[in-house]
Amino acid sequence: MHSFLLRRAGGLLVVMVLVALIVFVIVRVVPGDPASVMLGSAATPDDVAALRTRLGLDQPLLVQFLLYCKQIASLDLGQSIFLNRPVSQAIAERAGLTSLLTLMSAAIAIAIGVPVGVISAVRRGRPTDHVATAGAMLFASLPSFWVGLTLIEALAVRHAWFPVAGWGDPGDGLGAHVYHLVLPAVALGLPNSALIIRFTRTSMLDVLGEDYVRTARAKGVRPWHVVTRHALRNALIPVLTVIGLMVATLIGGAIVTETVFGLPGVGNLIVSAVLRRDYPVIQGALLVISGLYVLINLAVDLLYTLVDPRVRP
Amino acid sequence: MTRLTEISRRAFGTGLVGAATLAAAGRAWAQAPAGGVLQVATIGEPGTLDPTVATSDLVSIITQHVFETLFCFDDAWQVRPLLADGLPTVSPDARRYAVRLRSGVRFHDGTPMTSDDAVASLERWLKLSPRGKQAAPSIAGIAADGPLGLTITLSRPYAPLLALLAMNNGAAAILPKAVASAAAMGDPVGTGPYRFVEHKPDQYIRLARFDGYASPPGTPSGYAGERRAIVGEIRFVPVPNPTTRVDGMLSGQYQFADSLAPEMLPRFEGQAAVAPITVKPFGFPLMIFNERAGPMTDPTVRRAAQAALSCSDMLAAGFGDPAFFDAQGSLYPKGTPYHDEAGVTAYNLNDPAKAGDLLKQAGYKKQPIRIMTSQQYDFLYKMSLVAQQNLQDAGFEVDLQVLDWATLLSRRGDEKSWDAFFTYHTFVPEPSLITVLNPSYPGWWDTPAKHAALDAFNGETDPAKRVADWKTIQALFYAEAPSIKVGDFYNLAARSTRVTGYTTVPWPFFWNVGLAA
Amino acid sequence: MTDDPSMRVEPAVPADPPVLSGPRPRSPRRLLLGRLLRRPTALCAMAILALVVLAAAFAQTLAPYAPSRMDIAHRLAAPDARHLLGSDDFGRDVLSRLLFGARLSLAVGALVVMLATALGLAIGITAGFVRRLDAALMRFTDALMAFPDILLAIALVAGLGPSLFDVVLALGIVYTPRVARIVRGATLVLRELPFIEAARSMGASTPRIMATHLLPNLTSALIVQGTFIFGYAILTEAALSFLGTGVPPTTPTWGNMMAGAQAYMGRADWLIFVPGAAIVLTVLSLQILGDGLRDALDPKLQRLM
Repeated sequence: MHSFLLRRAGGLLVVMVLVALIVFVIVRVVPGDPASVMLGSAATPDDVAALRTRLGLDQPLLVQFLLYCKQIASLDLGQSIFLNRPVSQAIAERAGLTSLLTLMSAAIAIAIGVPVGVISAVRRGRPTDHVATAGAMLFASLPSFWVGLTLIEALAVRHAWFPVAGWGDPGDGLGAHVYHLVLPAVALGLPNSALIIRFTRTSMLDVLGEDYVRTARAKGVRPWHVVTRHALRNALIPVLTVIGLMVATLIGGAIVTETVFGLPGVGNLIVSAVLRRDYPVIQGALLVISGLYVLINLAVDLLYTLVDPRVRP
Repeated sequence: MTRLTEISRRAFGTGLVGAATLAAAGRAWAQAPAGGVLQVATIGEPGTLDPTVATSDLVSIITQHVFETLFCFDDAWQVRPLLADGLPTVSPDARRYAVRLRSGVRFHDGTPMTSDDAVASLERWLKLSPRGKQAAPSIAGIAADGPLGLTITLSRPYAPLLALLAMNNGAAAILPKAVASAAAMGDPVGTGPYRFVEHKPDQYIRLARFDGYASPPGTPSGYAGERRAIVGEIRFVPVPNPTTRVDGMLSGQYQFADSLAPEMLPRFEGQAAVAPITVKPFGFPLMIFNERAGPMTDPTVRRAAQAALSCSDMLAAGFGDPAFFDAQGSLYPKGTPYHDEAGVTAYNLNDPAKAGDLLKQAGYKKQPIRIMTSQQYDFLYKMSLVAQQNLQDAGFEVDLQVLDWATLLSRRGDEKSWDAFFTYHTFVPEPSLITVLNPSYPGWWDTPAKHAALDAFNGETDPAKRVADWKTIQALFYAEAPSIKVGDFYNLAARSTRVTGYTTVPWPFFWNVGLAA
Repeated sequence: MTDDPSMRVEPAVPADPPVLSGPRPRSPRRLLLGRLLRRPTALCAMAILALVVLAAAFAQTLAPYAPSRMDIAHRLAAPDARHLLGSDDFGRDVLSRLLFGARLSLAVGALVVMLATALGLAIGITAGFVRRLDAALMRFTDALMAFPDILLAIALVAGLGPSLFDVVLALGIVYTPRVARIVRGATLVLRELPFIEAARSMGASTPRIMATHLLPNLTSALIVQGTFIFGYAILTEAALSFLGTGVPPTTPTWGNMMAGAQAYMGRADWLIFVPGAAIVLTVLSLQILGDGLRDALDPKLQRLM
């Protein structure tokens, strides 16, 4: 177990270094620069050049890269060019929204996915199963921004049941934030529920085919009792890993959802940073998200090893 | 992880109970200040809040509540005093401007404003503002003359000076001397009716009523006259998606929204709570040609493009509703002193045959014309599509490059990478404020004839003679075709009917504005 | 476990490697088709896809107008005899754009699949056969997979430029690691099998072994994976276009048609509905087909069905 952990940690470090390198390379080949964006359309090339010097953008790439590595090593993500504050602060200010959105979307995806998946497995081959499977595929085929736009049009504009955009006033409590995020979470969670439906169904079918379940059935235990008492717990182990992974996918999906609903989250931060050429923010946000992603995967792996001793290496 | 679990437990315990309870909780913003909170949906995040450095409309809209200039414009676009105590005394040779400041004006930090602050601020303006830099070569010196007096000495007569000082972008804003001489600006401190409270990028900028404000006297007119801060707090919320701005107005989430697509006007029909606002005049889209490199350096090719374009189709595609544009070619709109139809010789021709002839005459060999445009300004993008088709119909080879605005801005500085690009210019009362006339503006229109005409115009102080000089410049604009003026367009904004006392201006302001319950 | 493509990283239990039954599977294609044809949904999906392919192939003939021909005087016309699916904000015919859009959207999907498969094969086989490079290549794919799809695509497109080709390249890179992992897994299993040992001891070269043993065994897994990537590429292209960071908006992909129609929701609803429905139907059909293929290929799932 120890060597397994060490190996994973070592691999993780290598991956993170590669991630940092990829991020730097991608960001530097982006054309356009923050100086001209900040100064607006009336700025002369001289103004832009002066600002570039001030921002250190005229340094050779290698120098910029070394500075960047030094920064990361000291866990400093640098200073945003556009937002006039440290990148870590800019991310931290928005992390609450994105975390809450991700959690709510995951909750919705699970709330739809697990029951539908279980029912679909138990009623395998029957109309219920077909409807559930088709529904899952349909959800997965929907462009999430379309779902979002339609929800806004129907539930926020025509009936003002939910807010159109944003996540409330400064000083608002959690309740108000949750209320603002209901529609975004549905738009993000719905397409992702498809994954849970499919995994739950497959995993449940696996378990239902196991000997102990058959035995229980043969002994005359009521079918739903078999499902809830015997099968579900074991079937949910693989589903757990999928949920862990889905959380990571949701963070990615949040980029689109936050744009549709005008939410000031991390996803929105990245999109606008790309448009503003705010290099340090793009770098920092990409690093944080991919780092989180790698960590979640590690956690899922470890969890899996704990709950299912068979896969311990 | 503890925090996340905590959030999730509370979120799912309390949050999903019922939308109605939550709605009530969401609206219970306990510390609402007297006068209420005005939520203004803006087109995005301004980035900087330095009114001197930036020339973007968004920065002006926000910062004009916090900072003030010596002068400002009234509703007839005449220069009127703001921080100054009346218009300056100008010496007979037009080289010395003596300005007196109003007494009793205080900055938001409580210190009184003096001529030292004004001198330092104007020097900062000359150094950092694109408009200040335009004026700098004509300015010999700025000196304090007692605690409330200052003198601007010119090296040559320079007519645009007062208009430049009155502009609210690239603004000659008066800051405390310590701030004006510091390298970076820090939190905004000005003399305006609202003071800066908090800036959360991409979330909001909060301004609160400044209780120590000293207003200029007189009946309000445009930006001039008395300014009263009635609303307790103004909150500028960046909402980059124009559809969301409209939706947010309809649902009552915002009380004011700027820069809406005119095509969305029908959505306001029958909505008693929202009043659409047409801002007129507002601006003019431009297609700028590269006169330094590439095929467009040939004036005949440029005139071919001029002949090919259907400006009315471009405007229709860009703005949809004809109530929001005017297909007219005079650089200044109807009803302004500089309006002139006579010089408009080649506008909206849409004559592919004539354009083809001109191309033949120029010996154009199907070199692709690289046109840069951006979707961030939807109407520019739509116009460029129509232009592409017009030009192709006339025999041009067009390479339309849709870039994001940032890329366009940086690429247009390099003369080798483009042949034309689309932009727009907001209406400005004084022609010398039009940035595209600046010879260093990308496109680089700087023929000897234009140079001479512009110099004559800037050196002339008699208003009547200036109008005549301007006509010369406009005639050159059509003869040399450095760029295409597509037409005039108007801006659609919207206010909640709860908003009272609003004055329609290009850069919306919210002093003298109240919020009914 | 399935090898669902929307799963970004394999859990500790690896996805089932493709079936490696022997030197050469027995006419798998006929078997597969037979199995698929027995499923009505799969049949339906194939019919829809065939229709989309036909529309794309004969767009030139079928389209009543040139897709980018503007008619400003007749903009935003509701569907009628003149424009069967209405006209957009430039007065362009929506039906014509839909047909040409099918061509572009299919091209994006197909090219992304080809690119991802080619790159994935190269990386996967190299990692599987050249042990010295294995760790480095796999860590590199791990690093690429550490970015959410959309995020990596946005960053890559911003770097590469917004042409159709660049978007294909970016999406190809995004989906490469999935293919690479499957190929590497299969290669690792395969190289230990007795018949490969035998082939090698008989002097067969590595490329020969790959051509005769590895690729045939991988084909079915790659087809399944490709079907899913195809669908995801179309969806991601649409999302990129919506964010304004995708294919140039002048290109009539379905994603761009949707992105441009947003402002007219509630006023000209057909503008967003028509391309939206086309995307949903196509992606849905691809998923049904991929699902059917996977079930038909995977004996473990077969048992459960």
